[in-house]
Amino acid sequence: MKHLTEEELIEHYYSEDFYKAEAEMHLQACLHCAQAYEEFGKLLGAVRSPEPPARGSDYGAQVWHSIEGRLEPYQTKKKRIYFHWPQLAYAAALLVVVAGAFLAGRVWEQAHRKPALASNPQQAKERVVLFVLDNHLDRSERLLVQLNHVGAEEEKVDLPLRSEAQQLLTDNRLYRQSIAQTNDPLLTAALDHLERVLLEVANSPNELNSADIARIQQEMNTQGLLFQIRVLRTKVSEQETHAHAVQKGVSL
Amino acid sequence: MGNDDHALIRATLAGDKDAYGLLVARHSLSVFRVAFRITENDADADEVVQETFLRGYRNLERFNAQANFRTWIYRIAMNCALDVLSKSKKHTASPIAEEYDGEQPTVQLMDGSAGPDRLLLSLEIETRRQAAMEKLTPTEHIAFVLRHMEDRSTDEIAIALGIAPNSAKQAVFRAVQKLRQSLAPLWVKS
Repeated sequence: MKHLTEEELIEHYYSEDFYKAEAEMHLQACLHCAQAYEEFGKLLGAVRSPEPPARGSDYGAQVWHSIEGRLEPYQTKKKRIYFHWPQLAYAAALLVVVAGAFLAGRVWEQAHRKPALASNPQQAKERVVLFVLDNHLDRSERLLVQLNHVGAEEEKVDLPLRSEAQQLLTDNRLYRQSIAQTNDPLLTAALDHLERVLLEVANSPNELNSADIARIQQEMNTQGLLFQIRVLRTKVSEQETHAHAVQKGVSL
Repeated sequence: MGNDDHALIRATLAGDKDAYGLLVARHSLSVFRVAFRITENDADADEVVQETFLRGYRNLERFNAQANFRTWIYRIAMNCALDVLSKSKKHTASPIAEEYDGEQPTVQLMDGSAGPDRLLLSLEIETRRQAAMEKLTPTEHIAFVLRHMEDRSTDEIAIALGIAPNSAKQAVFRAVQKLRQSLAPLWVKS
């Protein structure tokens, strides 16, 4: 049987125990605890402090007269503070909450803007590359269209294909070298193919005839290259649009 | 009563000093009674009462309009009583020469059946009670008085002393243990 602790006996004496009925039952069943409890009862029963001496009905007035001279009357404004203290406290708390929310919003916005701003130069560079590449592919597409539409019956082709091909060839070499550093095999292969076509056209005799062009069309598969270039243009345009949208989102 | 107290507080803060006089008249006797239970001295109890109402007036602006004035002024009274107890313990040499010595568990009391002897026992108990009360810390002293003499609950004691209910309960427990150590030998031969 588990005996009651001293603390439990004291709590029971002052009727502050949560399990009063259980303690009572235990005391009836356990002689050891019953004796300890009786001892506590005797002890605490013997502890009596002197009764307070009687004070007259005018005791309060006496106390007041003894302290009255040391008290300054309150000013009226103090009353106003007393009455409006809760309202002022609520208003101040509301102000703090609003200010806190505002500051938290600013901090959050700044915390989320920093990484975006940090990547801005890289994004701007990508946008420029995509823009000029799109322009290059556009010019290359037009050249290939002209090349593919020259009729076999035409003996002499009076088009500035050669000079255009020479200009495009220089640009294409630069783009091909730049793109080679990125991991885009489709674009790399297309630019490589384009360069061979441009090289052929640029190095052709001054006057290209239909037979020359037909040979180039056949040997260099310019129809296939034209398709490739159109696919790439669509892809580059989409990337450019996406990069532009990201840039706008960042600047918001 | 509570609402009347609040009206008097508002009047006091509006500049009507005499309104506070009515609060003093209303609560002085109860404050005196508990102050005497703690200090066991007329003069000290009167001092506690005066100091309590002085502090109450000076801090009246801080009084929470939702609170109970009696509880609030009691808490101030407990602080004043603590000050008085601390002061008296600091400056007074132990008034009881016959302190209980733990190595001497029994005292030489005569048979308790005789009238004069029982009177002697009561005197011995009172002497030892006073000695034991002197040994209590001010917090234990006030907690025990409020619990044992004033029949206040643990929660009321905690509010009056501005401590947690569990701390109030422990203070009462420690006080009873100390009293038991001091008074237990009296029952050995009584």
